[in-house]
Amino acid sequence: MSQSLKTFINGVWKDHPIFSMILGICSALAVSNKVENAIAMGAGVTFVLLATGLLIAALRSLIPTRVRMITYMIVIATFVIVVDRVLKALFPEISQAIGPYVGLIITNCIIMGRAEAFYVQNRIGQSLIDALANGIGYTYTLVSVAVVREVLGFGTILGFRVMPEGFTEWVVMAMAPGAFFVLAIFIWIGRSLAGMQEE
Amino acid sequence: MKDKILMIVFVLVLGSILTTALVAVNFLTTPIIVRNEQTTTRSSILRALSIEFDAAQVEETFAQNVEQRQAEGMTYYVAKDSSVAFPYSGSGLWGPIEGIIAVQPGFQRLKAVTIIRQEETPGLGSRVTESSYLRQFAGKRFADGLKMVQPGRADADNEIDSITGATMTSDAFVTILNRSLQQAMPSIRRGESQ
Repeated sequence: MSQSLKTFINGVWKDHPIFSMILGICSALAVSNKVENAIAMGAGVTFVLLATGLLIAALRSLIPTRVRMITYMIVIATFVIVVDRVLKALFPEISQAIGPYVGLIITNCIIMGRAEAFYVQNRIGQSLIDALANGIGYTYTLVSVAVVREVLGFGTILGFRVMPEGFTEWVVMAMAPGAFFVLAIFIWIGRSLAGMQEE
Repeated sequence: MKDKILMIVFVLVLGSILTTALVAVNFLTTPIIVRNEQTTTRSSILRALSIEFDAAQVEETFAQNVEQRQAEGMTYYVAKDSSVAFPYSGSGLWGPIEGIIAVQPGFQRLKAVTIIRQEETPGLGSRVTESSYLRQFAGKRFADGLKMVQPGRADADNEIDSITGATMTSDAFVTILNRSLQQAMPSIRRGESQ
């Protein structure tokens, strides 16, 4: 198996940020109430991962070891602010819905984690593949959780009504506790499928 | 010593480059963001005044049908049928609630209430934005204050059904509306009678 393929599969499945490492849970819980928000958040995180991967991998021989964390922080913060401004300018409604959580991408441990574990030690090409894979991994988990929560909590998918009229919406699914239930079930299924064991 | 200086230089240089990039992004996006906010407010005013509009032509419809006036330092908006709209804001349960109140000609009854911004509990308090809730404000008499009652009990023409499971938000919302009406209506009455 080629190195690139291995990196990709690690990101979307074996070292999946949410199933395997339980990283980035805060935002995953917060914005997975509607599919639209989940897609926007996933796209935002993927963009920040790619941009950070590119820059950190390109600078990896220049970054002094002692200030590498600060370097990740300012690089990530910059790209997150870019995402926030672009969302506000081009997709004001989505920005309104997920507003505060965009800023929290800065502290999303997936990005810090990948920068420290991968980008700072690998070449640009591999880093970009890893960033894309982790972004996709994060996004598909968020979207799957959001599909369950939006159908049960609002009776819709992407705003289109899918449940019959008179369906009683599960308010708990629209709120944070619903996210805990659904995400826990997803992690359970994901880990069982991957045959992961706690050591 | 040399590596310490290099370290500082690295952080300074990287910081400056990224800051410059941010300034550029800010410069490019600020006008669009300001325009978006204006369009949001204006479409909300049009909705409150029950003026039909096409989402792509908010500015044109607004310019043709609504006149902006000032009275005693507050800005309000007058439609051709001389109903009046003005912005309100106040604290909900979790964060600010902002929107537009429209009043029927004669200034005795509400025409409509819209919400532009709110941060209430998703699925509970956030239902203040639903049209089934907001619709009941139309035609209500506000001179003696709007009054919140239990869901389904609204009867008199100043009573509003609260939202099931979101009493605090409903209460806060009615309080905000009453206070805003009390503050704004005297100025608007004086402004319009001139």
